[in-house]
Amino acid sequence: MMAYRRERKVKKGGKRSGTSVSDRDGIIALKDLTKKFGNNVVLDNISLTIEKGKTTVVIGPSGCGKTVLIKHLIVLLRPSSGEVYFKKRRIDNLDEHELNKVRTRYGFLFQAGALFDSLSVAENITFPIRQHYKIKDWSEVEELVKTKLAMVGLDGFQNFYPANLSGGQRKRVALARAIALNPEVVLYDEPTTGLDPIRADVINELILKLQRELGVTSVAVTHDMTSAYKIADRIIMLHHGKIIADGNAEHIRNHPHPVVQQFINGQVNEDDLAVLRASGTIFQAQFLPRDFEE
Amino acid sequence: MIEVIGTKAIAGVGNAGRFGRFVWQTIVASARSCVTTRTYPLIWTQMNLIGVRSVPIIMITGAFVGMILAVQAYDQLASMGLEERLGVLINISVVKELGPVLAAVMLAGRVGGALTAELGTMNVTEQIDAVRSMGTDPIRYLVAPRVVACLLLTPALIIYADLLGILGGYFVGVIQFGINSWAYRSYSAAGVELWDVVVGVIKGFFFGAAIAVISCYKGFTCKEGAQGVGQACTDAFVASFISILAMDYALAVIFKAIYNTFWPIRSLV
Repeated sequence: MMAYRRERKVKKGGKRSGTSVSDRDGIIALKDLTKKFGNNVVLDNISLTIEKGKTTVVIGPSGCGKTVLIKHLIVLLRPSSGEVYFKKRRIDNLDEHELNKVRTRYGFLFQAGALFDSLSVAENITFPIRQHYKIKDWSEVEELVKTKLAMVGLDGFQNFYPANLSGGQRKRVALARAIALNPEVVLYDEPTTGLDPIRADVINELILKLQRELGVTSVAVTHDMTSAYKIADRIIMLHHGKIIADGNAEHIRNHPHPVVQQFINGQVNEDDLAVLRASGTIFQAQFLPRDFEE
Repeated sequence: MIEVIGTKAIAGVGNAGRFGRFVWQTIVASARSCVTTRTYPLIWTQMNLIGVRSVPIIMITGAFVGMILAVQAYDQLASMGLEERLGVLINISVVKELGPVLAAVMLAGRVGGALTAELGTMNVTEQIDAVRSMGTDPIRYLVAPRVVACLLLTPALIIYADLLGILGGYFVGVIQFGINSWAYRSYSAAGVELWDVVVGVIKGFFFGAAIAVISCYKGFTCKEGAQGVGQACTDAFVASFISILAMDYALAVIFKAIYNTFWPIRSLV
């Protein structure tokens, strides 16, 4: 039997309640992580432990560094300072060859799917398998593709190309590819963005199913609060590169920080409103081509 | 003023370092690809895309080069009564310089542009990050097959360009201008040595590698958006073109020195 069909022990755990991060069974840990692009500090001295077998959701406004944070968990980006650990082994200082071995333990669902345009759905899903295993029995691989696609409700789409799929279908194929190597950790970058509410809920159910059935550790970044409340064991909120809230859904709902409340309730703050008011009326901003004619 | 110069100098050194590292990683990955049978299908695919599909454009380029040289040089040689030596001039020019350089420039436009656009689009749509996230080295998977294909097939394409250039010159010289066919061929055969052909073909290895590495690097480092990909394609072509000319000069000097070391200078007329 092929090595990639390894079974994973499902470990169940209770809900957390906003306690200290240091005393948990962490599979991934960030220690004093800072990331700068030029003079722009995107992540500012972040320490975080991701619990094994749980779903951690990182929320925050657009541009707050969520994607940068999740890319550090798999070291697609190297920190400016600080450390990244996977199973207590420091990985941010490994060379790419060593990192590639570690990365096979992860799955990553990219925001737009990042499916390879030139490969069919089946070839996309078998890509990581072909890269890491010598395939002797292709019928077994075909069966595996069928199983993975059935899991995301797309069996029968094996010979389609990404260009022929809808946005939701692409995300589901990308999810099937992300779990092709039976990863221990799956990272989701905006898994429901751009999807209609029903398709978004399908993705949420898939994330929950993966956790229930395979016991994978999940980390999702999103600004979709419906999704966050549904899938999260723990929610972390980022603001200006720092963690300003950390706890379960109930903890976040009742968090006293005004930025947290504005974000989860989708409310514009007074400063932004003041700018809108000061910028004049819409009528004043409208023009017709004749306004520029002599 | 000093700050601006310093910033640009630091950025330039940084870019040179990144490019140097990319080249080194590409050399290592390409060498491994050549001895790893699993990557042969990838190389084969790229050979088809890069080499086979470039044959028509390369042959057309070669043919027109030979024909234009014949038209331009005939009057001058005829005025000195040397028109039968037209073939020597055309064939030497084509096999040593114009065939390799113009074939490489055509490849830089056709293949280099396509490589940069493809990898640039993969970069901005996070497909390269996806390759990395699945534990695969993108240089090994994406760059090495393209570089190996370019490295092996550019010399072959140059031979096509040379052949068509020689035939183009022959047809214009013999059929259009009425030069004696036997004289044209015998002077050409006497004037062009195996060394001249080999020099042109060896240049092809350098040109092919430069086109592939520069184009892939520009694709890997392109900026976000359609404008970023477009700019990367332009940069890749300009950089490849300048590299081809610079390498052509350097190789001409080196090969001339080697030739002069072993053989005395020969007159073509």
